[in-house]
Amino acid sequence: MRIFLLKTAATVLTMCTTVASAMFVTSHLKNPTAPLQPPVLTAGTVSSSAALGGTLTVGPSVQPSNAEPMTSTYAS
Amino acid sequence: MPPESSIESHHFESLGTSCSVFAVGQSHELLIEAEFWVRRLGARLTRFSADSELSRLNRDTGDWVPISAELQAISRAAFRADEMSAGLVNVAVLPSMHAVGYTRPFTEGPGVATLEDLRPLPPLADVLELREGEARLQAGCGVDLGGIAKGWMADRLSATLGADVVVNLGGDLFARGSGPRGDGWPVGLGGSTLLLRDQGAATSSVRRRRWGEMHHLIDPRTGLPAKTGLEEVSVVAASGFEAEVVAKTALLLGPDLAPAYCAAHAMAWWLSDGHDD
Repeated sequence: MRIFLLKTAATVLTMCTTVASAMFVTSHLKNPTAPLQPPVLTAGTVSSSAALGGTLTVGPSVQPSNAEPMTSTYAS
Repeated sequence: MPPESSIESHHFESLGTSCSVFAVGQSHELLIEAEFWVRRLGARLTRFSADSELSRLNRDTGDWVPISAELQAISRAAFRADEMSAGLVNVAVLPSMHAVGYTRPFTEGPGVATLEDLRPLPPLADVLELREGEARLQAGCGVDLGGIAKGWMADRLSATLGADVVVNLGGDLFARGSGPRGDGWPVGLGGSTLLLRDQGAATSSVRRRRWGEMHHLIDPRTGLPAKTGLEEVSVVAASGFEAEVVAKTALLLGPDLAPAYCAAHAMAWWLSDGHDD
């Protein structure tokens, strides 16, 4: 009888833990705006355009401009 | 639009290329001092001078060689580049450079290629060891710091020049501060202008330093000049050093993998396969 009670208690405990875990996980979905996300997750916010025989892709941390460049990156 | 602050600029030739320094609120004398710093360090890091610190390391292989704090720092950066690129950016490239005929400054023309000596590069950790103030290269190996050194130097120099500067060493640059109008430094990349703040940019290409079928960008997987389908990559990243590593890695990865790599490591990127469409 005591063994049966222990088994029942363990089973109930396991099921309760499983249900509680499932409820916790479903109520805490990943926050896409949370900090420290890898940059690849923000790839959806980049803009791409054809430029000078190639494709230019600009992420959200860089601002395009119509100003004349003061200096440039180039192959040397 | 806020008024534009006055900019002091200085242009000079060093490191085998054109260099520029721009600064807000700094004296021209300071920028000339910056030129001397570039020249002094460049003379120690070039592989084309037998007297340079780098040439001594490349010559005395097998022995522990005393190295300066700067060469130590750049060598550590080379290991970081190796790690960031999964081995694609490998400074132990000197034997391949010699084998393809890049034995002297490009302005003096290529040397004789001995392609039978070409082989995949060994992992950097197998050939270069560092300890405090000393380095050791395995016999038969050599390092060429190339763009790694330029990116590192642009980052380092900009940090000493002030809060609002751009240092451009042959296309490897770092833009520190918010620039003359307060919205970032206008920097050209891939035919467009981008406003950079505390960001670096660099370009890797197989279009320059090219002779016949050869060029200077070695693929460590083969030891041969790279042929990946990409001809030129420009990148904006957190520093000039990182931009250099990401640009070179993307070019070596080729057109299929480069976009994903750049998306993970860069803030803006321009990929060119040489076709206009």
